[in-house]
Amino acid sequence: MSKIVAVHSYKGGTGKTLISVNLAASFAKHGKKVCLFDLDFRAPSLFAILKIENTEFWLNDYLSGKCDINKVLIDLSNRIQGNGKFFAALANPSTKAIREMSAKDRKWEMRALGRLLSLRNTLLNDQEFDFLVFDTSPGLQYSSINAIVTADFVVVATTADRSDVDGTRRMLRELYNLFEKKTGLVINKVLDPISKSKNAEMDTRVRNVYQVPMLGLVPCFCEVLRAEGNFIFAQDKPNHPFTKIMDEMAKQIEANEVN
Amino acid sequence: MNNYQCFVRLNKHSTISCTVVHVKNTRGKPVTREEILSKKPLHVLEKIRENLERLNEKMEVMIELQRHGQKDVQPLNDAPLDVMTLLSMPDHLRKTAMTICRCGRATAEEVAQQTNRARAVESAYLNQLVIMGYLKKERQGRKAYFYADRDS
Repeated sequence: MSKIVAVHSYKGGTGKTLISVNLAASFAKHGKKVCLFDLDFRAPSLFAILKIENTEFWLNDYLSGKCDINKVLIDLSNRIQGNGKFFAALANPSTKAIREMSAKDRKWEMRALGRLLSLRNTLLNDQEFDFLVFDTSPGLQYSSINAIVTADFVVVATTADRSDVDGTRRMLRELYNLFEKKTGLVINKVLDPISKSKNAEMDTRVRNVYQVPMLGLVPCFCEVLRAEGNFIFAQDKPNHPFTKIMDEMAKQIEANEVN
Repeated sequence: MNNYQCFVRLNKHSTISCTVVHVKNTRGKPVTREEILSKKPLHVLEKIRENLERLNEKMEVMIELQRHGQKDVQPLNDAPLDVMTLLSMPDHLRKTAMTICRCGRATAEEVAQQTNRARAVESAYLNQLVIMGYLKKERQGRKAYFYADRDS
């Protein structure tokens, strides 16, 4: 079973954070113990989306070896309905921290990879987390490739934009394939909602273009845009079609059905 | 009298099988039959086996170097095994290096179990990565452990 899930994309603005948050919330809603990680150190956003004012330790501190991972984890289970557990590990949004993270050398990145890899033992094995969801930065950056190497499964978020399609295809061939990663494609912001029969046709087209299975097709929902990041749809709007798509994606990942 | 050196002769095809010619102690004098029988014959045999295994590993590296060409194996000093390095590695070495990254520390046997390749092949690749400076190697008794040194 895929325990560590990284959400990645070639370009920015494809909806990685939206998918990460809702995927993690969907796991938690179904009784799982989940931790959501903000690994986008150049543009941290989870602190704002999860409305967390301040925290003593950040993920930056853990990766630098300054603290234990348990100091970073914030328990948000009280915001989730049901028996699931929902934790978050946030990236430091201060300009100073972003600048510092951009200037790290290769040795630091190697150690950071080691610390990310050790989460499998500390969180999955010892503390019995069911899923770790990594929200990454777009493109080929150290933090996102570290996350991909650590993950069991990569959710690749893309749009129909020509440059995104081309870049995503290249990334699938030259990044995920090299690391032998299991991937599932999510096409976000689809303008024309399509019927179920067309969905199968789209799946075939996606397989032909990208050579990977399609995990989900997300129409461009005006309600999601209007929410301005104020809701976690998977929690706050359980009957919304977007939530249903996220729940289905979570189910497929959990059941290891993406192939 | 605790350490012995084992001298072996490779067969004409330079394959891994070899013949024990004679055994010397650390003072360079040949170990007599009486010495072997009266002192620690098991210990001597153990040393012979250890030396043969080391020789075996060196031979495997040489064979792999010939197979893949020298260009893949440029010795470096403590090169960081980061993701960009992993990306630029040839496929056969990347698989081995990735396994060490995941395991932290492992023997060739343990890596082989993960990659479904032969132990001898993994041993060769691991030793190549040591020569390239990406991995460190540490012996504990008969076992050789490989790891990426993240602390130095």
